[in-house]
Amino acid sequence: MSELIEVTVNVNSEEYRRSVEPRMLLSDFIRHELSLSGTHVGCEQGVCGACTIQLDGAAVRSCLMFAVQADGHQIRTVEDLGTMDELHTLQEAFWEAHGLQCGFCTPGFLMSILPVLEENPEVSEETIQRAMEGNLCRCTGYQHIRDAVKQAAEKMVAGGEA
Amino acid sequence: MKIEGEHLFNGSREEVWALVRDPEVLASLLPGTTDLKQLSESEYEGSITLRIGPVTGAFSGKIIVEDENPPESCSLVAEGEGKPGFFKGTGDVELLEQDGGTLMKYGGEIQIGGKLAGVGQRLIDMTSKSMIKQGMKSLDKVLAERTGKE
Amino acid sequence: MARLIGKPLKRNEDPRLLTGQALFVDDVELPGMLHAAFLRSDYAHARLKGIDVSAALEREGVVAVYTAEDMGDDWAPGPPLVIPPPTIEEVTFNTRTQVPLVKEKVRHAGEPLAVVIAESRYIAEDALDDIVVDLEPLPAVVDIERALDADAALVHDDLESNLAAHLVQTKGGYQSAREQADLIIKRRIVMDRGIAGAMENRGIVAYWDNKQQYLTVWDTTQSPIPIRNGLAGMFGLSEHQVRVIAPFVGGGFGPKIMMFYPEEVVLTWATLKLALPIKWIEDRRENFYATTQERGQVHEVEMALTEDGRILGLKDDFIHDSGAYDPYGLTIPLNTQCHVLGPYDIPNFSSELHVVFTNKTLTTPVRGAGRPHGVFVVERLLDIAARELGIDPSEIRRRNYLPNDVFPYDNVIIDQAFANFIIDSGDYLPAMEKALDMIGYKDFIENEQPRLRAEGRRVGIGVVSFIETTGVGPYEGARVTIESSGDVSVATGVGTQGQGHFTSFAQVVAEHLGVKVSDVHMVTGDTAQFHWGTGTFASRGAVVAANAMNAASSIVRKKILELASELLDAPEDELEIEDGEVRVADVPRMSISLGELAQKANPLRGAVEPGTEPGLEATAYFGPNYGATAFGTHAMIVEVDPETMNVEIRRYVVVEDCGTVLNPLILDGQVHGGVAHGIGNAFYEQLFFDDNGQLLNASFADYLIPTSAEVPTIEVGHTVTPSPLNPLGSKGAGEAGAIPVPALMAQAIENAIGEAGFEILESPMSPLKLFNLYYGDKEQ
Ligand code: FES
Ligand code: FES
Repeated sequence: MSELIEVTVNVNSEEYRRSVEPRMLLSDFIRHELSLSGTHVGCEQGVCGACTIQLDGAAVRSCLMFAVQADGHQIRTVEDLGTMDELHTLQEAFWEAHGLQCGFCTPGFLMSILPVLEENPEVSEETIQRAMEGNLCRCTGYQHIRDAVKQAAEKMVAGGEA
Repeated sequence: MKIEGEHLFNGSREEVWALVRDPEVLASLLPGTTDLKQLSESEYEGSITLRIGPVTGAFSGKIIVEDENPPESCSLVAEGEGKPGFFKGTGDVELLEQDGGTLMKYGGEIQIGGKLAGVGQRLIDMTSKSMIKQGMKSLDKVLAERTGKE
Repeated sequence: MARLIGKPLKRNEDPRLLTGQALFVDDVELPGMLHAAFLRSDYAHARLKGIDVSAALEREGVVAVYTAEDMGDDWAPGPPLVIPPPTIEEVTFNTRTQVPLVKEKVRHAGEPLAVVIAESRYIAEDALDDIVVDLEPLPAVVDIERALDADAALVHDDLESNLAAHLVQTKGGYQSAREQADLIIKRRIVMDRGIAGAMENRGIVAYWDNKQQYLTVWDTTQSPIPIRNGLAGMFGLSEHQVRVIAPFVGGGFGPKIMMFYPEEVVLTWATLKLALPIKWIEDRRENFYATTQERGQVHEVEMALTEDGRILGLKDDFIHDSGAYDPYGLTIPLNTQCHVLGPYDIPNFSSELHVVFTNKTLTTPVRGAGRPHGVFVVERLLDIAARELGIDPSEIRRRNYLPNDVFPYDNVIIDQAFANFIIDSGDYLPAMEKALDMIGYKDFIENEQPRLRAEGRRVGIGVVSFIETTGVGPYEGARVTIESSGDVSVATGVGTQGQGHFTSFAQVVAEHLGVKVSDVHMVTGDTAQFHWGTGTFASRGAVVAANAMNAASSIVRKKILELASELLDAPEDELEIEDGEVRVADVPRMSISLGELAQKANPLRGAVEPGTEPGLEATAYFGPNYGATAFGTHAMIVEVDPETMNVEIRRYVVVEDCGTVLNPLILDGQVHGGVAHGIGNAFYEQLFFDDNGQLLNASFADYLIPTSAEVPTIEVGHTVTPSPLNPLGSKGAGEAGAIPVPALMAQAIENAIGEAGFEILESPMSPLKLFNLYYGDKEQ
């Protein structure tokens, strides 16, 4: 076994320090070392987007990074959005519009789309489309996800969020 | 997968023949080849580390030279196995005199399996072509050094 | 009763899923948990001559390495899931089922040879490299049309050929129909393989607690109860010692029903030996080899018609690719045979089926399960006939629909349940007319298409019909309990993979019991909660399980009314249940809450009278006589770029009739997802194998699942023809979206190209294949 390297990351505004093997994937680190299992893994090939998180505010695929590369960075996962009783506007919209079925891909979609809406909720259909294109969903056919994003964007514009 | 091509060397058939039958030259041909050993007159063994798109890994394998007819032609059998899967290839090499140099014609077939096939397929064609191109280039270089011809 | 059935309610299960709090199998973490990795064959067909695991065992962190030999007497091929049909005469069926670990011979690439159990998945995978395997490669059987050649290698050495099954089904007499025909259309039609592509790969956590003598298995299965029963049987445990939990499952689409996957058996066997929890999570590349696939068939087919486009008969001889084993019996090809008949009046039919073994991953039902093949075949022939006879494609279908006074209609041949294929109900014309109307068929053909054609644009329209047999037996059950809080808890055996069961079932229950849908708490897929039933497949949840819900909650309703009538001293017919309480209709003051009633029904003192039961609870079952058949029409408009042969879908319309709708929001979602899957099947998703049985595109980078860019907006309409077979009148809908898409897309593309002789006879297509088909023809 190779030697362990110490990693310090800030995840969802909390500081975590762990010693990990240099080859440990960031997705495994988040899911199994930090027990934040809302981030899912669908391919480990960088294609499906289920593992998307935010690294310093930008959407990235955690299966394509090693945990050690995240050392000193800020991470945000789906657990940082709303709670079951108080959902985030985007989560709420997914609920209203039936933007999820099995829900496996959902955290990835939320984390891919959110930075786009947070930057500017006045999005065109094209922007929405582009924000979604890197994530695969086998259940929904995407239509209700598109509806959800539109709904969320409208609410965020109206609520002056962002 | 089929491989086919030709390359014109600036040297005689005998010179080219001697070149490709030299294990040290062979090893330098394929980047990533390590400890190439000659087992017998016509059999070599060694390992090679390949990187094909998302697939990287070491293969250990063998090259056998058959039906030798110096300096005109021979057949090759190559097989390798490793973590990323396996490959098996057979091919024919022919040396023809042309324009004062030597035209090498080669053709053959490669079978691949495992991860190499499943994930690397798309890139293997490209990779093998570029490996051959590189190999020919380094052969040209060594040949030039040996013969002093540019 | 408040009408909740049919409302587009949002789902009870969503807050958990949206916040990352839902439990999937890979989220299960247990103290001391070990991790398994499987060594899989790189070869598709090879003899196992030796396997040396000693180096792997020496690696630090490795706990155990097992091969087939280590399993001793516990090593046995899996049980057949579906036994061959007894009701067809002269059927040949050779059962050969998958093995837990390869013992003598590898039969498909990816078949497991050994398992490493280690402290982490990383270590387990490292140790796979330490294992030395001696495999002698054999020629592989890949092409299904050559599998029965005399010189083909044998997938199973003990059989004389690669024939897995052979049977002939007939209705009427095709030969005489042929003699009367004005037109015979004869074609060869091919449908190739794809994957199910659930976003969650498979996974298992198995834990034998030696002190409690209790086995718990978390499994991404669509069928937890049969898995529990099977595991108990296999390892000599009582069914009460085994609990199988299918928690949230990230998409099923069929392959997660397979019983038993080697990994399910091996992990259970290993935990029984080690008495420690073991986790195995499939990775995506494994999924491409180790999870079952579907759709390999080649049809030689013939349709006999009159000159006015009426079908006199159909003859469909086809080969079905079973892969290396055939635990699933004839389910898929029997579905194909039934769906070739479609919604049409086809008096004479003959179909000879050959199922063959190949050195490829096994095929078991994937969303559609043989139905898309049948639909593709019959719809393609109708399109070709329409063209030859100069009849509009919608018109030729209209002329051949079964009239709506023939139901229930007995198609004579047998279906996948080995009973006569009976269509319970149908009314096909309105569904088609609605679809034509929604897409503006007439206007498109008469105005828009000529206008765009004149501009040089290749636009085309398509319209196809389909049926879908759904909701097959045997049965499902449900237990409905009023809790002392007044909330309702419900348990059922079917698991959930995203179909919204927590909500649509709750709507049925809430409607009877006068509570809020959100106050109905559903437990699905946990054998400790409910242990009778079969599973979620064949679009049966909304039919079979929902009707069990319906039955159980009406019994509970009766119990509520009886007790309340006694306590409120009012006759039952004056009582109403609303907002979680029972009221005397005209005297709102006189009421009692359901919670209080539940407490009263479970007295702490006194005796429960003989013949009565404590609590407000009931368990009920529902088993239909035969399946309910949904149907519908899809229509689409496409534009083909003649330079690249890229196809853009400009409109997509679905009109679906699945009887009574429980929740239209959920239904639309199922339809959208099905269509998206169908678009993949029709145009993007194909597994490529080389002559040695090597899969050449085992990743999402090379195997293309449609993204949001490829899936258009889908306009959904409904007609409602309730099924007479169940009290709710429901039919299933889980697969209907996917079934007709390949047929539809072929028709629309042909219409867009608009040149005589340009025919699409295979699925999936792709821009490249279209290009070759179109420009290849040109050169000749
Ligand atoms: S798991 Fe990271 S992209 Fe699929
Ligand atoms: S909801 Fe199941 S994969 Fe998207």
